[in-house]
Amino acid sequence: MNKPTVPSLKKALTSNTARILAAYFFAALTIIAFIVWVVVKQTDNFSFAPFIDYQNLIVRGVGNTILISLISLIGSMVLGFLFYLLQSSKIKYFNALIDIFTEIIYGTPMIVMIIVMAFLIGPAFNSLNRNFFGVLALILYMSPYMKNVFKSAISSVSEEQYLAMDLFGFNAYQKYRYIIIPQIIRVLMPPLMNNFSLIIKGSALLNFISYAELYYVINVAQSKTFAFVEGYILMWGLYLLLTIPLSQLTKMIERKWAL
Amino acid sequence: MKLEIKNITHQYDVEVLHQLNFTLTNYKSIALIGVSGSGKSTLIRLLSGLEKPSEGSVLINDVPVSDKLYRDHVGFVFQSHNLFPHLSLKRNITLILEKTRDKSKQEANDIATKYLKLLHLEDQMDKLPKNVSGGQAQRAAIARALSIDPKIIFLDEPTSSLDPILTHEVLTAVQDLKSLGKEFVFVTHVLSFVRDFADYVIFMHEGNIHEHGTIDILDHPKTIELKEFMRKVH
Repeated sequence: MNKPTVPSLKKALTSNTARILAAYFFAALTIIAFIVWVVVKQTDNFSFAPFIDYQNLIVRGVGNTILISLISLIGSMVLGFLFYLLQSSKIKYFNALIDIFTEIIYGTPMIVMIIVMAFLIGPAFNSLNRNFFGVLALILYMSPYMKNVFKSAISSVSEEQYLAMDLFGFNAYQKYRYIIIPQIIRVLMPPLMNNFSLIIKGSALLNFISYAELYYVINVAQSKTFAFVEGYILMWGLYLLLTIPLSQLTKMIERKWAL
Repeated sequence: MKLEIKNITHQYDVEVLHQLNFTLTNYKSIALIGVSGSGKSTLIRLLSGLEKPSEGSVLINDVPVSDKLYRDHVGFVFQSHNLFPHLSLKRNITLILEKTRDKSKQEANDIATKYLKLLHLEDQMDKLPKNVSGGQAQRAAIARALSIDPKIIFLDEPTSSLDPILTHEVLTAVQDLKSLGKEFVFVTHVLSFVRDFADYVIFMHEGNIHEHGTIDILDHPKTIELKEFMRKVH
């Protein structure tokens, strides 16, 4: 006779959730196996030990990446909202300006934007503060994307709802406080967090202007330790450590907040 | 109710209503019928004060519909429920009572619960609109319209987005409201509902009140257009 645990285990394994979990487990295993294979092929004795001496530098790099990403996020949100207002303005000149700017940004690689800002536009304003102009480049680059996020979030509140608000006699403050903003935030959050992830990844390009963010500090540490394989793996892993929790959180919010 | 339409013209991109005049007294439940684009939805929006006519004025019981005094006592049920999607069925009602009708939390809760129960939604009232059926959402919208204790309730094709079974469910709920002593103005395509519920019928055609009268006009239409309409809807 079977032990009672056997059929229930079998049942558990054939349940849908268990099958999905198993699928994820084996898929992750495949990818890890590939990376291990590459690492083993490229190095004899894999070790992060040489980087221990540089841990302060690396922590500072991670900190800088987070810092400039947050600054860029807030900056591009403010500018993106301003762009949204200008694009919905009645003044045609502003509409055209935002339209053209958006088109230019869509056609520009982020690295080109950073170089142009730091080495061309910055000096034109008699400034050699490359870091400032580098971050400004990130902000400007993300603003049209932020503008779109605001546009779709704000248009998600239907005309009919505005009619209903008027009908019931809500005043302007109450409309925004209880009805419009709570809905907009729900729609806004997932794409906003996606953009934050884009910013974190894009900030790696600031190493071109020697800003001491994550990519840059790992490069420095690699040139001292000669542990290139470990350095690349460390760099990659640290970026994923920042972005994957963010995207998981985004998915969770999408699920919980969808209207 | 006493209904006076004084020379109203209304246009969106095209002119929908043109210099419309009409007076009616002493009916409690008025149906607006007509084909799509005949101006009936526009007319109900103007009568409810939801929209202002481009020209002219509407008076109901001698009060202009633009008057706040009138608007505070108007219930409106939209084609699609138009509940606030981020709020539960109950919160859709209590928010309005607390913020615009100066009710306490407790009073608002009691009133909301009372009307949601009246529309058989006691099990659904903490759910978001997206988590209930279309018929339940529309019934919640009716409860919301009732909760502000309106004198007149306007229903703009309340069942147009529902299948026949849900339509029946919603219209039965509306018929049960007859005993509440409210007055009704409604647009609908469901003629059996007009027969059961209306005491006056207004037939709209190409932006005009083409024919009107008690429900007898449905069986004995005078104009070709209403005859044609009755033939097509049957």
